[in-house]
Amino acid sequence: MRTLTYAQAVNEALAQALELSEDVVVLGQLVDTSGVFGTTKGLVEKFGKKRVQDFPVSENLMTSAGMGAALAGMRPVLVHHRLDFMVYAMDPIVNWLSLWRLKSNGQSRLPVTIRTVVGKGWGQGPQHSKSLHGWFAHLPGVNVAVPATAHDAKGLLLESIFGETPTIILENRSLFSMEEVVPENPYRIPFGQAAIRRRGQHVTVAALGIMVPIALRVAKQLAEESIEVEVLDLRTVSPLDRDTVLKSVAKTKRLVVADPAWRSVSVAAEVIAFVSEKLGRDLASNPTRVCFPDSHTPMSAPLEASFYPDDAAMLSAIRSVL
Amino acid sequence: METITHAAIRQSGRYSRLKIEGLSMELLRGLYRGMVRLRRCEEALMVQYRVADEIRCPVHFTIGQEAVPAALGLLLRKDDFLYSHHRCHGYFLAKDAPMGALFAELFGRTTGANGGLAGSQEISMPSHNFFSGAILSGALSLAAGSAFAFQYKGDDRVALAGFGEAATEEGIFWEALSYASVRKLPLVYICENNLYSMYSAQVNRQPADDLSKRVQAFGVRTFTLFGNDPVAAYEALREAIEYARKGGGPCFLEFYTYRINAHVGPESDDYINYRPADEIEFWKSNDPIALFEERLDHAGLLGRSERELIVAEIDEEIDEAFQFARNSPMPADVDLEALSRSCESPFAERHLPLSSVGDFDETQPVAVLAPY
Ligand SMILES: Cc1ncc(C[n+]2csc(CCOP(=O)(O)OP(=O)(O)O)c2C)c(N)n1
Ligand SMILES: [Mg+2]
Repeated sequence: MRTLTYAQAVNEALAQALELSEDVVVLGQLVDTSGVFGTTKGLVEKFGKKRVQDFPVSENLMTSAGMGAALAGMRPVLVHHRLDFMVYAMDPIVNWLSLWRLKSNGQSRLPVTIRTVVGKGWGQGPQHSKSLHGWFAHLPGVNVAVPATAHDAKGLLLESIFGETPTIILENRSLFSMEEVVPENPYRIPFGQAAIRRRGQHVTVAALGIMVPIALRVAKQLAEESIEVEVLDLRTVSPLDRDTVLKSVAKTKRLVVADPAWRSVSVAAEVIAFVSEKLGRDLASNPTRVCFPDSHTPMSAPLEASFYPDDAAMLSAIRSVL
Repeated sequence: METITHAAIRQSGRYSRLKIEGLSMELLRGLYRGMVRLRRCEEALMVQYRVADEIRCPVHFTIGQEAVPAALGLLLRKDDFLYSHHRCHGYFLAKDAPMGALFAELFGRTTGANGGLAGSQEISMPSHNFFSGAILSGALSLAAGSAFAFQYKGDDRVALAGFGEAATEEGIFWEALSYASVRKLPLVYICENNLYSMYSAQVNRQPADDLSKRVQAFGVRTFTLFGNDPVAAYEALREAIEYARKGGGPCFLEFYTYRINAHVGPESDDYINYRPADEIEFWKSNDPIALFEERLDHAGLLGRSERELIVAEIDEEIDEAFQFARNSPMPADVDLEALSRSCESPFAERHLPLSSVGDFDETQPVAVLAPY
């Protein structure tokens, strides 16, 4: 069975999408030269500068232009080296892309895919490390994915490119070298379907993105103590697969949400809210969150290391609900 | 070339350069009809706005600014894209979108261009390739993207955007200009410089009122015109659209004009005293329809009775548009959440198999970041 790294899986999805339809175009700063951490490597050689186009340092315009191109029948993929840069594009995302389908009374379709890398580690600092999936998930009308594995990175990207809804895909840089068996053919993973990564009956860990490998490692460790952790990978935060979470918690009656973002007003908060609405009285213990502190990311290595929750933080969160 | 600015226009007095000699009757009639249709339409909406409180959304009327949309309406192809801003009725009609769909939209009815979900300032009609939105400068940047798509596909279509001079105060305007210039996009920007952003004069907001000069620095072809001359507007727009269509690159047209009505709504806002009375009077005396009628009379073309016939025809269309709006149902039981996001992916369904969960190995180390 063939394995690919996360970055290679993204790269393969883009290549296959460019192959599948002439309407697909990849736009972004340096997509033709930097390779965007391997994810666009070799594409320009294969498909040419017309299909894989460098874009000026105008994130705001690139996003509007992507929408204008989609209205004219294209399926653009917009690439950002860091999510922090695309904050310049909040107007097109919030005021145009997200509301357009409603405002056009369902007449317009906008297959715009925004791929954005989230930095982590090596002193990325507060302006190169933000993961704003919670912001984007708050908006009606956009799909938001935070793939944790190579397999999902490929399938969700293809689903987005060939879907009809504007989509933001957040790829954490620290996952790029992780390998997984990835089917060679192009395939899709629907939005709104969580993956059950590990089955267990004692506690549910609903994890997202970089928290998934941590949750799995800790679950393995706890299995040695006969504590069986059910690890859910939410995969997409909008739409959110509430059913899978509810089914799992109905069984385990204990919940930990591991969300790689600031704690307050987060996706983690939303998960606990909807679980409480449906199962509040059935819970055997108070649910808890494993998140980043409500602070921007510090640069200095020791501070940065303690900013991000690690295996120990996960372990203690799980123990606290047992 | 002489410089045209608001100040220069005021200085040179009432406009006297409208030339209709040598133009076809069809063109003269088209320009006249386009201007009067927009004027009557706006006046009728203003009258009806409060009567039975049936129009419950902000409306930015465009009395005095009819020349440009009327000229544009004669030049656009159905497959060209036209984007517009909050003051969009003229552009909506210029794109040949039906008046009934406009009125019904203002009335919030299901038969409105957007089923009553958008209203006046955000109305779109995808079937007519017309799109607008009320966030300043957003739509003009979308137009750049459509122009990109036309060029990419090798179509000879043009993307256009109509907006006010304040839209150029947003950074994205300059981002779009720069990009359109470097890529030679088939893009035409139509700036109706009416001197005001709500109650603020241009010179309070911008270093000078000759936007075109600044735009030229981006390598974009510019046209600077008195905006109440429909013939000059027609000729400049025709040249710009042809230029963009043939691959010459983007054009920027600046039309100096004036909004006679309030910024928003049917009542006057001149009680705020944001513009001098003699300035309003000057522009009233340069009314584009009156200027045009004067020339027609002078040349003995399109006489009074013919014009009355055109007006009668337009008034009938307006009556029908009101009836259409009033007789249409209000929306009910709309599943707003379902409408907000498309859950269907027909293309993906046709071309891609589903895959559910991979086989992730949890024992792997995470990537260690290297220098950027
Ligand atoms: C981004 C943004 N900022 C502010 C506004 C509020 N606003 C609505 S219309 C308007 C005036 C715009 O003036 P101009 O672009 O010259 O067009 P005009 O109204 O004169 O036709 C303003 C500031 C807005 N709609 N969008
Ligand atoms: Mg203005």
